[in-house]
Parts: sequence; C-alpha cells; structure tokens
Amino acid sequence: MTTVTESVRNVPASGPLLWVNRKETAVEPTPTQAVEPARIVALVRAAQRGDRLAVSGLLELVTPYVRRLCGPIALDDGPDATQEALIAVFRRLRQLEEPAALFGWVRAIAVREAVRHAQRAGRYAPAELTEVPAPGDPQLAADIRDVLDRLTPEHRAVLVLRDLEGMDERQTAELLGVATGTVKSRLSRARLSFRRAWQQ
Amino acid sequence: MTEQTAPASWPVADFDPVRRLAVLAATVPGAALHQAVVDAPFDRVWAVAADLEGALPHWLPDIRTVRPSADGTEALVVGHSRLRARFDIELRPGWCLMQSRFVLGGMAAHPEDDGTTRFAFLGAFRFPAIGLLATVLRPATAPLGERSLRRFEALVREAHG
Repeated sequence: MTTVTESVRNVPASGPLLWVNRKETAVEPTPTQAVEPARIVALVRAAQRGDRLAVSGLLELVTPYVRRLCGPIALDDGPDATQEALIAVFRRLRQLEEPAALFGWVRAIAVREAVRHAQRAGRYAPAELTEVPAPGDPQLAADIRDVLDRLTPEHRAVLVLRDLEGMDERQTAELLGVATGTVKSRLSRARLSFRRAWQQ
Repeated sequence: MTEQTAPASWPVADFDPVRRLAVLAATVPGAALHQAVVDAPFDRVWAVAADLEGALPHWLPDIRTVRPSADGTEALVVGHSRLRARFDIELRPGWCLMQSRFVLGGMAAHPEDDGTTRFAFLGAFRFPAIGLLATVLRPATAPLGERSLRRFEALVREAHG
C-alpha cells in the first residue's frame, strides 16, 4: 500500500528542486521552463489528497509566478495581494481537474485577486492614463513602474496579461470577465494617449 | 550610435516565509497560527527554532523528545501524552514544516528592517473532521499558543546570554 507520504517521495526527482533546501534568493524559474509536467501533476494530485508537504512544494512552485503577476497589478499592496491570491488558489485546489493546466488556472485566480485587492485597497492615484501603452513603446520599456502608477488596476491587468503573459484580447477578456470590446478600448489609441501624457 | 534602452523591470511583489506559513494556515481547517515579533536578529531566532532536538521540547508544551534522522528529513517525536509519531521534515533557513500521519506543524521567520524578527508557528491536524474539532477548541488552545511564544522568546534570550 502506498501512503500519502510515499506518493510524494515518488515524485520524479529530476529537474529543479521544488522545496528541498531551496533558498529564497535562488533565481526563480519561469513556470513553463523549469519543472517537468509529470512532476507538477504528481504534486497537484498529492496536494489534492491532503499531503501538506506536497502543498508546501506546490506553494513554493507557484509563489514566484503569483508574485510576478500581483506585483505589477497591486503595486504597494503586492505582498497582501500575493498572500490572498495564494490562499484562494490552495482553498480551491481540489477544483482543479486538469493538473497540467495548473499555471493557467493559477494565473486567472491571481490576476483577479490582484485587481480585486488593489481596488479594495483604493490606494492608487486617479488614472492619468486611460489606455494601456502599446507594445514596444519606448517609455514603457524605460520606466514600467511610472506607467503602472498612472493606470487603474484593471488597466494594469490588461498590460500584464498582454506584455508579460503574451495573451491576446480575447483571452484577456475571458480571464478578466469583460467583453473583448472593453479590452480593445483599454488598448486602443494607446500610443497617442500615452505619449501625450508623457509629453506634458 | 543608438543608445539601447535598458530592459524593462517589472515590479515583483515581496513575499516571505511567514506569509507563506499564513497561507498554509488559511488552507488547513482548524489550523492555528501564532506569531510575534521577537526582539533579536534573525540568525539568533532561527538558531533556536531550527534546533528541533534541543529546543522544541522546551517551548512546545506537548513535546517530550525529538529524535531527528541523520539526514534531517525525518524525526521521531514523542509527547507527554499519547503523541508518538514519525514526522517528515522540511527544514531550511526561515522555514520548517513537519508532517506526521495526523499532525502538521510549521515554523517560519523573517527579519524585519529594525533588526527584530517576525516569527510564527503553526499547529494543525491534517484531516478536516479533526480540524473542525480543533476550530471549536481554538478559544481554549489559543492561550497555549501565546504561552509557547513567550517560552520561545525566553529561549532566544537565554541562548544569547
């Protein structure tokens, strides 16, 4: 008979270490490049069965990704947003039917939680930019934090999903639960508006 | 010559082991998380926390002995009551998680800017039904957690003295 603990230990050991002696300062792998899919599936299954060491390993695996999503959307509230997003992820873990889709599922929860948390915190300044800067805008490359400071959380989410996650308008609209037209309007006339704001 | 624009730097949210333990606590039914700011630097605090064999029995009330395996990934824990269990252990600076068949324990620490250290520990049963019972009993067990924290802080002070 295989115990829960044994099942975690039988997770394939090749690839980057997920939790054993991994230091906080280690370079964080991007989720899609670093961990074997079979290992992710085994961890998710063990965590769904209630193995808390597997939960801990999974937590370590997804936390860098959630931090990267919540940071640009929630800004100064990023740590709280990350914590709330992770709590939401692990409370709903049993609902994840397809473990291989872990990161897409985590992304949807994290972005929504980050927007919700940033809205609730209400600490952002009134938006000076009404649209998201276009891809490749030199000002965007020069100072992302300044751009983010002048966008609403919803606009920041659009920017993150497009520029960090490479999602298109339809995917972004689905994830944020808004119409595609809404995403388009946030992106439209972007370069002109953005440059105008910068030139003032 | 065209000057190259530096790669954009996207802000990444800070996150520390104490927050991670809080996430675990929030997802385990009946888990109790106790935390305090200890007036000592991280290294001194974690030296006591990580000494499972020498220190744990002195600040957690039900633990009598802890016998870690040679590689430190397991420990036999014997309590003053009926507790006698083998725990799997995940231990690294600032983070410790211990899991037996029925019990989950954890510790986390993070240095604060002012030279103090935020320390937290977690106790939980691993199964929902027991966890619900623990939730009911929490008002009774909360003072034990606070008492344990005070004992832990005293150990840190003694270790320095």
